Amino acid sequence: MTVRIITDSLGDIPAGVARELDITVIPINVIFGRINYRDGVDLTTEQFYDKLAASKIFPTTIVPPLGRFADTYDEVAEKTGDILVITNSRKLSASYETSVLAKERMHKKCRVEVIDSLSAILGQGLLVITAARAAKEGAKLDKVIEGVRNNIPRVHTRAAFDTLEHLRQGGRIGKAKTFLGTVLKVNPILGIRGGEVYPFAREHSRARALDYLYDFADGFSKIDGIGVEDATTPDEADELAQRLQARFPGETIYRSKISPAVGAHVGPRVLGVAVLGDRD
Amino acid sequence: MAEANSINGKDLRAMFEAATGWLEKSSADIDALNVFPVPDGDTGTNMLLTMRSSIEESYQAAANSASGIARAVARGALVGARGNSGVILSQIWNGVAQGLDEKDEITGADLVVALVQASKTAYNGLSNPVEGTILTVIREAAEAAEKHAAEVSNDLISVMEATVDAARESVANTPTLLPVLKEAGVVDAGGQGLYTILEGALHYLKGETDQLKLRRPWMVASSIPLTTRVPQMVGTADEVPYGYCTNFVIKGAELEPEKLRKRLEKKGQSVIVIGDDSAVRVHIHTLDPGEIMHYVNPLGTLHQINIRNMDEQYRDFLEMQKERMPEVDTAVVAVVVGEGLSQVFVSLGTTIIVPGGQTMNPSTKDLLQAVEAVPSEKVIILPNNKNIVLTAQQVQSLTEKKVNVVPTKTIPQGVAALLAFDYEADLETNAISMYQALSEVKSIEVTRAVRATRLGGLDIKKNQAIGFLDGDLVAVADKTEDVFTEALERVEPDKAEVVTIYYGADSTAAQAEKAAAAVRERYPQLQVEVVQGGQPHYDYIASVE
Repeated sequence: MTVRIITDSLGDIPAGVARELDITVIPINVIFGRINYRDGVDLTTEQFYDKLAASKIFPTTIVPPLGRFADTYDEVAEKTGDILVITNSRKLSASYETSVLAKERMHKKCRVEVIDSLSAILGQGLLVITAARAAKEGAKLDKVIEGVRNNIPRVHTRAAFDTLEHLRQGGRIGKAKTFLGTVLKVNPILGIRGGEVYPFAREHSRARALDYLYDFADGFSKIDGIGVEDATTPDEADELAQRLQARFPGETIYRSKISPAVGAHVGPRVLGVAVLGDRD
Repeated sequence: MAEANSINGKDLRAMFEAATGWLEKSSADIDALNVFPVPDGDTGTNMLLTMRSSIEESYQAAANSASGIARAVARGALVGARGNSGVILSQIWNGVAQGLDEKDEITGADLVVALVQASKTAYNGLSNPVEGTILTVIREAAEAAEKHAAEVSNDLISVMEATVDAARESVANTPTLLPVLKEAGVVDAGGQGLYTILEGALHYLKGETDQLKLRRPWMVASSIPLTTRVPQMVGTADEVPYGYCTNFVIKGAELEPEKLRKRLEKKGQSVIVIGDDSAVRVHIHTLDPGEIMHYVNPLGTLHQINIRNMDEQYRDFLEMQKERMPEVDTAVVAVVVGEGLSQVFVSLGTTIIVPGGQTMNPSTKDLLQAVEAVPSEKVIILPNNKNIVLTAQQVQSLTEKKVNVVPTKTIPQGVAALLAFDYEADLETNAISMYQALSEVKSIEVTRAVRATRLGGLDIKKNQAIGFLDGDLVAVADKTEDVFTEALERVEPDKAEVVTIYYGADSTAAQAEKAAAAVRERYPQLQVEVVQGGQPHYDYIASVE
């Protein structure tokens, strides 16, 4: 039986890719005031950022209840006896803990394994996509798990920010807090390291920040996957994706959007690049 | 509240509350300043707690007149005073209350009387008043208030503004009066606390509730070049054994505080005795607190007894200083002058600023001290001036630590180097990428000629504006802005992306914005940023990237 992959919506997997690879995405909830939206289901990225710009309320996010995870496991278990759940870094959300606890609550008999991606956004996404491909090609669950574990240290993410205010407000800023309070207007480049948000560089203009993202991907000697995603600046992301495509002609470049649940923590104008590349 | 020429008792209480709230926002920063007379590191907290006691008592005031509230504030401070600074603060409020005696409302003239009396009372309460402390600040602030009222205006807000300005200057000047502060590289903490309180009061008087809510008090920077911003070991020869900081209140009758103080001065140091015949607060540094207790016990009942080992306090203080520094694998020491520029460097991750620059080059020892003080074995020095590069390189052979000097010759180069600093990279890699970043930035410096001369084919008159591009003289004109524009022309601005203008202590934000607007108009593709640098000598320093 084919292994099925479940993940949370914080991996920013393009909807088309999820459909094609039978990836089940559990939407994280985005809360604006009292209204609860399911990430990517009730709210698209564009709708989210329009609301963010119009609203005075800071949106928050919450992982859905255990039962929702367990129900999803049961649904997927109709089609398979082997489920692999790949979650957002447990240092960034409660997705991992909930996924583990939900195993006890499911009714169907099915093997469910849970792995912490130690990543987020398309970094997490690339891990999920690669695992789903292996599953689709017939790899057994243990093999798929081994593949994910090998890939975790190979996944690198960087994102250019205009402001760190949203990260700070949402409490996900991690070590990037050293970049707060800069008197100069700088464009911080953050990434994920050890499952946490980590400060990598500061550029003095947006153009340079985008160059940084290109150079970052360009620096890998071996690449098995690239993703580019934007929050509110699709043209910039398209241009960057084209440059990278020219540099890595054979690679599929996944083009995605920051999901509303991630957007609630990173704010507008974030541009991210993820690479499945060399080992750390 | 709206602007007013006088305030009543309730306003006065609200003003004290606003000032206390303002102080609260920076009390932790003030704690970190404290080095005098022992580095007990809690001046901000002590002043805050003293103020809170005042506020509480003010709600119990017998009368809601200005004098009634002021008396309650003074009483609250007396019973709630903590630490040296709290005790002196309570003396200040005591003086204010005396100055406002029988006043229902307070005008600018009343404020002057109150401040002058506060200054007197504060000095009188101490057996050995030391200049360069909160005492100097209250005195100079009161003097400025008096002068302002006599010569300019005795409007309440106007007097308060003059008071706050004078207090700020006085705080900045404290290190020149007190070597212990100079050595430690800080301004006096109690002085900073008093300034903050006065500033909070001013915000209230001006109705600036948004400021009070949203802004934070500025920490005054020292007016003189400091060795480093990290306190050195402070040990004055005449006070080697620190002993115990002993505090208590005696309640009784006919306590005769004056007499008591004279007696206690023979038994310890830093003696403060304040109060009246029915209640007296005592602060004394002694090697034998038991003896003091034994002596005062028969005089009345003892309250709020607090004895602390000052050696422990000092150790805790040093630990706290270390903790406050960002934990880094590779530390950065930068030579910078000007409050704004220092903030730029600190906000970009500089571990320690060594104040200095043009005409005030730090010594090798200054830099060595800073290198030794950072909590890291690997250090990068950014000299930011061509005359300091060699000095910085000397440090390498004088320390066990691994030191790399990135030879930044200007402030913009220093900023470019810092931006290239990579938290992940090792010392060598960082030094290389920071060095490479220097070539990506052009530095423009605009200053005034100190004498007439001929240089680089240009005739220069004294006081004319002169502009340098990466250290070479490229422009001379009467107007600073013209020189700046001319220097900018030399760097092919249409190929640049970002121009950052740091305006100096002698220029205003408006002037700098005007210069920036001119650049924007001419080169619309440029991102032009204006930052208050506060540097001396140079009207403008600009980076072009």
